[in-house]
This record gives sequence, C-alpha cells and structure tokens, in this order.
Amino acid sequence: MKPLGEQNHYELLEVSCEADPGEIERAYRMAQAAYASDSLATYSVFGEEDAISLRERIELAYEVLSDPERRRAYDGSLAGEPLPPASAGSAFELERERPARNEPKPLAPLALAAFDDLEAEAGSSGYDGARLRRARMRRGLELEQIAQVTKINPTYLRFLEEERFDDLPAAVYVRGFVGAYARCCGLDLSAVVPSYMERFETGRIARKRSRQGQPV
Amino acid sequence: MANLAAALARRGRAVLAIDVDLEGANLHTCLGVPSPRASLADFVAHREEDLAKLVVDTPLRNLRLIAATQGHLGAAQPSHFRRERLLQAVHRFPADFVLLDLGAGTHPAVVDYFLAADEGLVVLSPEPTSVENAYSFLRAAFYRRMREVLESRPVRRLIAQAMDQRNERGIRTPLDLLREIQSLNPAEGARFVAALQQFRPRLVVNEVRTSEDIKLGFAVRSVCKKYFGIDAEYLGYVNHDEAARRSMLARRPLVDSHPASDAAVYLARIAAKLADPRRASMQSEWRESGA
Repeated sequence: MKPLGEQNHYELLEVSCEADPGEIERAYRMAQAAYASDSLATYSVFGEEDAISLRERIELAYEVLSDPERRRAYDGSLAGEPLPPASAGSAFELERERPARNEPKPLAPLALAAFDDLEAEAGSSGYDGARLRRARMRRGLELEQIAQVTKINPTYLRFLEEERFDDLPAAVYVRGFVGAYARCCGLDLSAVVPSYMERFETGRIARKRSRQGQPV
Repeated sequence: MANLAAALARRGRAVLAIDVDLEGANLHTCLGVPSPRASLADFVAHREEDLAKLVVDTPLRNLRLIAATQGHLGAAQPSHFRRERLLQAVHRFPADFVLLDLGAGTHPAVVDYFLAADEGLVVLSPEPTSVENAYSFLRAAFYRRMREVLESRPVRRLIAQAMDQRNERGIRTPLDLLREIQSLNPAEGARFVAALQQFRPRLVVNEVRTSEDIKLGFAVRSVCKKYFGIDAEYLGYVNHDEAARRSMLARRPLVDSHPASDAAVYLARIAAKLADPRRASMQSEWRESGA
C-alpha cells in the first residue's frame, strides 16, 4: 500500500503486472471515467490540483502500458521493485466471463458485465424485455449506442424492452431487432431469439383475441 | 435493508433483522409489522436483558424482527457499554443472518455497529449529496478504526491533526497519514496496515437509472483504494423502480410484493452473493446512506 504519489503505472490503473492489453484498455476507460473532471465519485475527495495530476498520470500510465515496447522498457525499470502480485487481480476481474463473441468493437471496451449472471444460474432460461434491459445495463450500454451500431430506431429498441408488442412491426422485423440487440449485448442468440419471439407471438395473439372479445 | 433481509429469507435462510436506528425507527413498517410493543428500546433502557424476548414475527417466512419503536425520546443512542452487550448478544443469536439497520450519519454508535459487522454495507445513490455522505461515513469509520488500533500519544496527536481538514502538515489522504505514522513509529504503522486490510466496506449503488450510474460503484471503489488505501467491494446495484414506491405504500418488501420487478431481481442477486457459502461470514450489516 503506497501513497498515491508513489504508485506505479500498474497500481494507478489498478491492474496486475500481467494484465493483457484488453484489461489495460478497460481499466484505463474506467479510470478515465472515475477521475473525469465532472465525476460524481471524486470531486468531493480530491482537490482540483490533485485531480488534474491524477488524470495526467493515468494518461501517462495508459500511454506507456498500451505500447508493447514502452511497456517492456518500463517493466525493466521496475525490476527492483516488488510488483503487485498477479493474484491481487484486476479491479475488473468480475467481468472476465463476459461473452466477447460477436460483440461489436465500438461498444465493447467499457463492458460492465461486472456481476455474474445469476439469472442463468437460477435456471431462468427465457428472455423477456426486462431481462434484455438488465443485460444491456450490465454491459454499460445505452439504447442510443445500440441504435447507432444496429441502425435500428431507438424507439423500437425501447418497445422491445417494454414488451409493447402491439407497437412493434411484423414478427419478421422483430426477430431481426432482437437478434441485433442480443448480439450487441454479447448474449447468446440461440437462447435469446426463440424465447423472446415466443413471448412476442403469444403476447400478440392474446391481445388480438381480447380485442375481439374472445376468451383468451 | 428490509428488502435484503426479505431476499435472504426467501432463500430459506433464518434471518433476524434488527433496527438499531432508534432515532428513525421504520424497519417494522417496511416489513409490514404494525408498531410492535417489544422493542430494542427495552434493551437500551435496561427493561429487558434477554434479546430473544424482543423478537417478533413478520409476515414473511424465516424472517424475524427486533424493532426500534417506543424509544425514549431523550436518550436515543445506547451507551458504549450497552452497545457492547447488544453486539455480544447478536453474535450468539441463533440465525443464519443478523442484519442491523443503521441510521444515517456518523454518530459513534453507528460507526461502531458498522465496524463490528462481518460485512458492512454502504448504500449510496448516484447523487452528489449521497456520495458525499458515503465518503464522510467511510472517513469517520476509517479514523475510528485507526484510533482503536493505535495507542501511542504522538501518533494519536498526529491523527487528530490529520482529521482537521485544514491541517498544516500537508497530509492530504489517509495514505499520506500512514506514511507519517510509519516514520514516527514503525510498530504502530504495521498495526495500522494490518487493521486496514480487515476493513472492507461493501458498496451498493441504489436508484440506478443509467449505465453511467452503475459505473459509480467502480469509481467509488477506485477512490477507496487510491485515497483510503482500502479494498472496498462493489457488491451490486439496484435500479430505480416505481414498484419500490408502490411496495413501500403497501408496507411490504419489494422482493415479496413484486418479486419479478427489476429492483427485486437485483436485490435477489445481492442476497445470493451474501448467502454464497464461499463467503465465510455469518453476519451482515447495512447502512443507509443519505435519506
């Protein structure tokens, strides 16, 4: 445990000395957000002067550690010093299990799948709108970001989450929306799409019947 | 707090919830128990020595309660000695989980309960006031733990100086202070480092509306590390949910009245983490930061 002024690049970014480039990237984004000038978490703790110097040092740490050559040289310069043990782990260790497959690059770095998906453990296999939203929020995504990548109108994405089935277009489009949404959130398409579409179909049929005054 | 207790009880664990917030007792209402006659106030006022006699049932299975109703308006906080007695009794109580609902603020009683717990939870919302309160609380807990552990007079004087925010020695962070202590008295420094490693607050972010709000927990954890030198754990978050207000009006815990609501799902997830047998603790504690 060292005073802030003496922390090395790894300690500043809260990663182990064996962190891979992906971890360093994520840790840097997280630190950048945490120590931004308008950050809720830091303004009352660090004075302006300290905050600026912290931001500069975080930038420098990232510049060095994200460049393989400079990182090697830096590691060499640290040699005499005890490095933080690998077991101390990255500050973001909980995120590692996140399925990276098919995740579009621009959205991935800040992924916040920080909390193990206990829903899956609890055996609930189906996906409804609320579960989609939770998956999205866990990954730190806003609807607008998904809309940018998928080119789907954000209103429709919201309707998906709110299960406003009557306001959504025909099933064939909805299937496409759900698939794109799931891919964006790094979810397993084969688990998401069929279960969501089943809800969609039964929801629509039920509503149609009730409109026509038939027993559901 | 009521919800976390209810979520643990729903997992089939025997839970005792104790409202130690004698100045703002409301846990009974959150759990749907109409103002109980027996209460912690009887223990505080020496009317009852046996804690078990103050326990009342709640409408929820596996969940029992010691309320803080009918308190004496004049002397709300129990004496130091009384608090020790209470904590001893709590440790002996036959339950899987004992949750203490602490009041807001940094009264020594509140801080002592927090420090005595196996797991001290700090709840904050993504609002400046709440985050500032959370830091004041952590700072108070930090210095209190420090004074418990460190004995030498010069070191205590140094701490007193550092606690004064306008200190002239240029001690800006608790870690700077540690450095000063180490040079003044290495043995005390080592004791303090050992105590710090056991101080592990758990963070919960409440009233989450956007993914930015979720990141607050990571940012606060980072500040704990960089500023206090402590390893906080980001236990989870609970989103803002209109259902929470409806369940409050119905005087029922959300996890019981709306188990499928978003907030209830997040709460159940936090409860699952706490109940994980790999966590070796038997007791957990809660602090409501802010309102």
